[in-house]
Amino acid sequence: MLGPGVPWYLAVAAILFATGALGVMLRRSPLIVLLSLELMLNGSNLALVGFSRLFGEADGQVFALAVMAVAAAEVCVGLGLIVAMARRRLPLDVDRFAELRG
Amino acid sequence: MTAGAWACLLSPLVGAGAITAAGTRITRRQAGWIATLSVFVAFAGALVTLITLLGKEAEDRQHLSVAYTWLEAGGFRADASILVDPLSVVMMLVVSGVGGLIVWYSMGYMAGADEERRYFAYMALFVFSMLLLVEAGNLLLLLVGWGLVGLASYLLIGFDHHRPAAIAAAKKAFIVNAFGDAVMALGFFLLISRLGTLDFAPVFEAAGNGALSDTVVTLAALGLLGGAAAKSAQIPLHTWLPDAMEGPTPVSALIHAATMVTAGVYLICRTHPVFEAAPEVQHLAAILGAATLLVAGLVALVQQDIKRVIAYSTMSQIGYMFLGAGVGAYGFAIFHLVTHAFFKALLFLAAGIVIHHLAGEQDIRRMGGLRRFLPRTHLAFGVGTLALIGIPPLAGFWSKDAIVASALATGGTLGILLYVAGIAGAVLTGAYALRLYWIVFQGEPSPLVLEHAAGHGDGHAHGAEDAAGHEAHAHAEGPTSMLLPVGALTVLAAVGGLILIPGLWKPLETWLETAVHPLVEASVAEEWVTSGGAVLAGAVGIWVAWRAVSAGRELVPWPHLRTVLEHKLYFDELYDRLLSRPAQLLAARLRDDVEQPLVQGSLDEIGRGALEAGGGVARAQSGLLRSYAFVVTASVIVLAVVFLVVR
Repeated sequence: MLGPGVPWYLAVAAILFATGALGVMLRRSPLIVLLSLELMLNGSNLALVGFSRLFGEADGQVFALAVMAVAAAEVCVGLGLIVAMARRRLPLDVDRFAELRG
Repeated sequence: MTAGAWACLLSPLVGAGAITAAGTRITRRQAGWIATLSVFVAFAGALVTLITLLGKEAEDRQHLSVAYTWLEAGGFRADASILVDPLSVVMMLVVSGVGGLIVWYSMGYMAGADEERRYFAYMALFVFSMLLLVEAGNLLLLLVGWGLVGLASYLLIGFDHHRPAAIAAAKKAFIVNAFGDAVMALGFFLLISRLGTLDFAPVFEAAGNGALSDTVVTLAALGLLGGAAAKSAQIPLHTWLPDAMEGPTPVSALIHAATMVTAGVYLICRTHPVFEAAPEVQHLAAILGAATLLVAGLVALVQQDIKRVIAYSTMSQIGYMFLGAGVGAYGFAIFHLVTHAFFKALLFLAAGIVIHHLAGEQDIRRMGGLRRFLPRTHLAFGVGTLALIGIPPLAGFWSKDAIVASALATGGTLGILLYVAGIAGAVLTGAYALRLYWIVFQGEPSPLVLEHAAGHGDGHAHGAEDAAGHEAHAHAEGPTSMLLPVGALTVLAAVGGLILIPGLWKPLETWLETAVHPLVEASVAEEWVTSGGAVLAGAVGIWVAWRAVSAGRELVPWPHLRTVLEHKLYFDELYDRLLSRPAQLLAARLRDDVEQPLVQGSLDEIGRGALEAGGGVARAQSGLLRSYAFVVTASVIVLAVVFLVVR
């Protein structure tokens, strides 16, 4: 087998996921939050593909494709919302959108 | 054969149903006519039944007609059946005949009252219930009629539902009667558990041949007596009847004088084999009757409300009937029931004309000298009063004396005591009846009377009231629909007693004998002694009352005794202290100590807990997206640690 082993891929996936999660938790710009979400999704995609490789089965790769499709749809909606917010000159700060608090 | 009896029973029910279903689509007068006609159809049915029975042999006059099996539970079966025999036919005739006259009278009396249609529907319902009671073919159906008359009585006493006094009186009547019903039902349960049936024939046979133990028979008879005493307002369950006078006057005449309150007497006569198997209970009935007739007669001496005097007189006369039934003179008890229905309904209806004339005034201290303004009513009331006192040859003379003579014929200490009570009661009857008549009709007209006489003299002071298309006042005494029934009852009260002259001419006695055989038979000598004594006693009462009232004095000159009597011997106060207040106190304690802390408190706590939990959760719902993300991530990490490390 060429190149680094599967554990390395998993480690990169974990780092990607953690970076994304930190971004979601710490950043306030909705655009960056959306980007961080994509990072998390791609981290999990990488893990799926890695496991697929490890077990020699195609399931994980199929799942990764499905996740990409969902992610694409989500980005469409999310970016659409952000563009709409920018057009209405609303502040681009997720902490200021807290009307749904109890 | 029994078609007439079924028609008699169902016609008033159809009338009540028709008035109810038609609602406001019929006028008030039409509702009155429907009720009156349905009751007169019932009377026709009763007459047909009487004629049919007259055409039969004496032994063949008992018919049980079963419509269908009403209910069946295990071994117990009850049919929807009616019993047609001489006793029930007499009762059917009285209930539908007197009832028809009184409903007819109501059309004039109630004209212009609010919710007149409801009144007539209730009246028809009452007549149906009463007919069901007297025609019932078994004890269970009898109990149904028994309960229904109580309901109709409650509805009619409380007819003026905006007057708190009427509502209170209705509730009182209902509660006392419900107590009697419950006692009676207990007696029936006992019979069901021992015999498995409530049909008349097997129950009477078992009571007669000793199939039931003495204890069971005594308890069953006590149950029947409890029901009878409550319905017939006998001591100690009499307190509801005077208050029931809050109802409209025709209701007092029909329910609280002529028919329903005498149901207890009918019950004792109908179930006489049970009472004969428990002689102590039967004697208790006679003693209760004697006590009631004396107490009610005494209280009637000082009452100031025209209807209440007549109400106490009713209690007193039913006391005579209980006395008669208690010594086994069933025929005479029923005879007095019949004549009493005539003259007491007459007195109430005549009093109704007086009250109508004086625009609702019932206090006799404000009346006087009415004979000049209401000559016809004066005549009717006078006949009723003399019949009540028992002056020959009016109705009350024949029946009351027959009962007292039977008490004498019973013999023994009890018989003598009952006889003395009966004669003493006759003195009291003479005194209170004449006092009432004299104060209301004789003497100088009172200011109130003159004022109303002037109003009627002008022509139509009441014109505004009657503008709604009702029968115009023919003259001051009221519309024809009020005067004709009173006239008919006057004739009946005068000659109604002639259906039975003790010892000489006794069609009613012979007629009833096949259904209820009497235990005692007074000899002709005893009859004469009693009649002489009773008439003399009545005359003494009249003389005493006339002396006192015409001189403007009270009948009871001793103020202390008068206070006691005005408070009706403190029965109401006693029951209030003994039963009503402790019950209310207990209820208040239970509310404060049990309901409030336990039931209400726990519910409050549950509510408050939910509110507080919601408040706590609401604080976590900050709306901050990043903190949600943090919570989710932190939870996932915790779960991961739990699954991977702790396992």
